[in-house]
Amino acid sequence: MNFATDLVPMLSGAVAAMTPLLFAALGGLFTELTGMLNIALEGLITLGAFFGILGASATGNLALGVAIGVAASTLTALLYGEITLRFKANVFITGLATNLLASGITVVLSQQLFNTKGVVPFELPDLPVVTTGLSRIPLLGPLFFGQNILAMSSWLAAIVAWVVIRRTPFGMRLRATGSNPKAVVALGLKPDRYRLAAILISGASCGLAGSYLSLNLSAYVPNISSGRGWIALVAIYLGGRRPAGILAACLLFAGAEAFSNYAQGFLDVPPDFILAIPYLVTLAALVAGAAVRRAKEH
Amino acid sequence: MAETSRAPRTHGSRRSPVGGKFAGLAITLAASFAAAILLLLIFAEDFPTALRLFFLSPFGNKYYFGNMLASTVPLMLAGLGVSLAFASRNFNLGGEGQVYAGGLAAVVVCLMMPDAPPVIVQILAALAGAAAGGGIGSVSGALKRSLGVDELISSFLISASVVLIVDYLITGPFQDQSSNFQTTMAIAPALRFARIMQPSSLSTGIFLGLAICLLAKLALDRTRFGYELRVFGSNGEFAKYCGIDTGLYTLLPMGLSGALHGLAGAAMIMGSYYKAMKGFSGGVGWSAISVALIAHNNPLAVIPSAFFLAYLEAGAKSVMVGSNVSSEIVAVVQSVIFFLITAKITEKLVGPSRRRAKKKTEAGTGRTATRQEEAQR
Repeated sequence: MNFATDLVPMLSGAVAAMTPLLFAALGGLFTELTGMLNIALEGLITLGAFFGILGASATGNLALGVAIGVAASTLTALLYGEITLRFKANVFITGLATNLLASGITVVLSQQLFNTKGVVPFELPDLPVVTTGLSRIPLLGPLFFGQNILAMSSWLAAIVAWVVIRRTPFGMRLRATGSNPKAVVALGLKPDRYRLAAILISGASCGLAGSYLSLNLSAYVPNISSGRGWIALVAIYLGGRRPAGILAACLLFAGAEAFSNYAQGFLDVPPDFILAIPYLVTLAALVAGAAVRRAKEH
Repeated sequence: MAETSRAPRTHGSRRSPVGGKFAGLAITLAASFAAAILLLLIFAEDFPTALRLFFLSPFGNKYYFGNMLASTVPLMLAGLGVSLAFASRNFNLGGEGQVYAGGLAAVVVCLMMPDAPPVIVQILAALAGAAAGGGIGSVSGALKRSLGVDELISSFLISASVVLIVDYLITGPFQDQSSNFQTTMAIAPALRFARIMQPSSLSTGIFLGLAICLLAKLALDRTRFGYELRVFGSNGEFAKYCGIDTGLYTLLPMGLSGALHGLAGAAMIMGSYYKAMKGFSGGVGWSAISVALIAHNNPLAVIPSAFFLAYLEAGAKSVMVGSNVSSEIVAVVQSVIFFLITAKITEKLVGPSRRRAKKKTEAGTGRTATRQEEAQR
């Protein structure tokens, strides 16, 4: 590995890889704050990716495609949320059901529409890159300001999430729903409304995450989410349920992913091991985070 | 991600009477068939043919029927594994990796001992499979016990990496050099379970599955271990005050659940597949969760429940071969089953628990609800 020539593209890859994780984790943060571990993120990302690129290809418009991807994920989140809340269902089983539904329906539709369960390439323009004067800053410029519009929106989303959660009545009630639902009831509000809102936000956010994945590749790849929903859950935990912490955790995991992509070029390690790196890094971070927390308690 | 009680209810704490439960089950099964019919109606170019393939072909001849019965074996064992974890309020999402690793471990033992007495090798291979799966499951249990790491997430992450590592082992060190497929060498004919319904792949392995379900029922109902596990599963706090080693019942069920998954993989190898092909066990881990949910974690109910899942999968496979619909419709049907069973929609329709559900405060859903349910039991 040539440090000077490979480092910048690798870092740039890490910043790009952070986008879907960040979107998913920020969405999951809302459900986490209302007291629900949202394991449906994985499936919602898959749906966003599939319908996002399908929509973009059908309408010939990237923005409409993203909107369709977001709509698909949000509608499925509505189903997931309604069944979970209205019927007092076990949120983990409904989450698994959502994931199964997503992985099943995307394969069935892919077979129907494209006659393959494999990779479906699309002829689409690249996501537009927003250039500003800041892009001219050496090293940092291209890293943070040479990214496409969805990547840059994800950072904006982190700020918006912080403002909504910390600085609005909605955010306060959302947090209270998780920490003290009785107080929310005492205020004459319905905790389930806030839970459903959180689930819908996570759906929309995963729609963005998924759309980014497929539109960035200009292809739909089976199992395109490849664990990102789960990694996002760990990022929420590691980030201490705060947007800034989540940003840092996502950058860490994105770094591991970018490194494993680059490692295929110069490390003599079987590709399957390299694919396992993101999962193993996430697991290690989860365990380390728990150990630190445990040490602090004692 | 605090430690929470969240696994579905066990068979030890039923709320609705038996009649209501069967009616609820009947509705769930009918709804899943309806979902399958609806999917075929939407997607199949030739609907009547697809319908016939889906519903009738698994019973069409000895070959299909036997193969369907053969596929109940891993579903029974893995479904039992999921049930055991659920019964102790643990969530094992690592089934996929555990079955896969168990299968590979069994193949490796069989290939390494070509000259030993077959019975011994078969036992060792089964134990190796159980040990591989159990080892993987225990890691999640141990992490939860020692550090409070969420076993649901850790078991998923471990399994996802195990699947990739087993992929590598099958296509790398253990690849059969003479084959064009990504597979290990086949185990010796003497090590294969006897076929009992030629030409299908049904073997004596099915008796192993049935026997272990029976044993699990006895262990859960008649032993101190089973009793303590059920007490811990229904109320962790209460179990603590009873002097039950609660750490043990976090570690042990995850290990046992993994071991049963591993055994399922070993049974697939010695009973039907004879070699570990890349991805040979894909999907068993998720289907096993359906099996446990339908069976309400009752080890004996796991048997018909595994049969039902095997039927759905066999039907979907023949639809895929004979028409344009991909077999993944089973995943969609399974998601309908998950939604229906956990939403207790069926129980609401037939069971007497409606008033009780209404009594719950507005405040409770998700984690909170499961806690409240615990308290109400």
